[in-house]
Amino acid sequence: MPRSDSTAATALPPITRRTLFASFLKMGLLGFGGVLPLARQVLVVERRWFDDRAFAELIGMCQVLPGPNVVNLSVVIGSRTHGPLGALIALTGLLFVPVGLMLAIAYFYASVAQDPLTRNAIAGASAAAAGLILGTGVRLLLQTRPPLRGLFTGAAAFVAVGVLHWPLFFVIVALIVVAIGAEWIAQR
Amino acid sequence: MDRAALTARERMHDELHALAEITKHFAVLSLVAIGGINAILPEIHRVVVDVEGWMTSAEFVDLFAVAQLAPGPNAMIVALIGWKVAGVAGAVVATIATCGPSSVACYIAWHWVDRLQHSPWRAIVQRALAPLAIGLILATGYTLARGADRSPGAFALTLIATALLAWTRVNPVWVLLGAGAIGVAGFA
Repeated sequence: MPRSDSTAATALPPITRRTLFASFLKMGLLGFGGVLPLARQVLVVERRWFDDRAFAELIGMCQVLPGPNVVNLSVVIGSRTHGPLGALIALTGLLFVPVGLMLAIAYFYASVAQDPLTRNAIAGASAAAAGLILGTGVRLLLQTRPPLRGLFTGAAAFVAVGVLHWPLFFVIVALIVVAIGAEWIAQR
Repeated sequence: MDRAALTARERMHDELHALAEITKHFAVLSLVAIGGINAILPEIHRVVVDVEGWMTSAEFVDLFAVAQLAPGPNAMIVALIGWKVAGVAGAVVATIATCGPSSVACYIAWHWVDRLQHSPWRAIVQRALAPLAIGLILATGYTLARGADRSPGAFALTLIATALLAWTRVNPVWVLLGAGAIGVAGFA
């Protein structure tokens, strides 16, 4: 895969406000059990605004900044295309429309939650939702092929957070230092 | 002043007070939520259940279930908490308080990133963070899978969804719908 250094930040094609809103609305409305798999589907597969490597780099930056990751993603892409207004447009599609839908679900939840068919459907869908996130991670791993130092920090993050349940904040802060240090040494 | 008017005024005062408390707590959490909303869920639980006494732990878990059931970012759990405490106004205030400060921080951070466009540091940071992001994504998927896979059928669904996302171009929405149907049929 060719290496482009003008990745996430500069390589965006012109995007209309309508397309921006529609893209993030789609992620918000169809992203059950986590928006990340849908974000990759829309941004990488359907719109082709990024390749997998640029997407992984972008998500990396959004994860180390405070705040919900996909919300940060919408701010970055929105502001990059249409400034502060673009950020607001993307945020609205991603967040405020689904919040309205969710409040509607909350009103009916008590009656729906007891229904065995609903419970079974949710059991199946949430098992698959976990797989969608795992599959997205595997795909990004295969597509970006990190060097050994990257595999080490990635594995350390997985074990510390996923297996050992260490506090995410401290794991990220510590691993940022290690990852950037290793990359800096490797580049010299 | 008659009694009804007094209680109405008191109630309004209580609601405004609740909105102010929601804003205060979630705006602070917004800026420490490095790694996303799942990173601060235990802290949200502590504030909402232990500190403010807005709901019981069981009610918190129920709200989490609704948030999982609805499409959209995981961060929407805060809208439900706000809704539970202070109605629709609470939902809106909680959402803005949680996503506002971090979004502004993200916006400013990316302006700064853009100014470093020709700095070697930017490429170093981006390359260092991508594998870290992938490790965290896999940790999220693994954690969700451990919660969702309570039967061999559910485990199989997770594996199948992982493989489909990693090695095919199938749309994740179809995987979720299919898994929901398989769940209804009683295999999860």
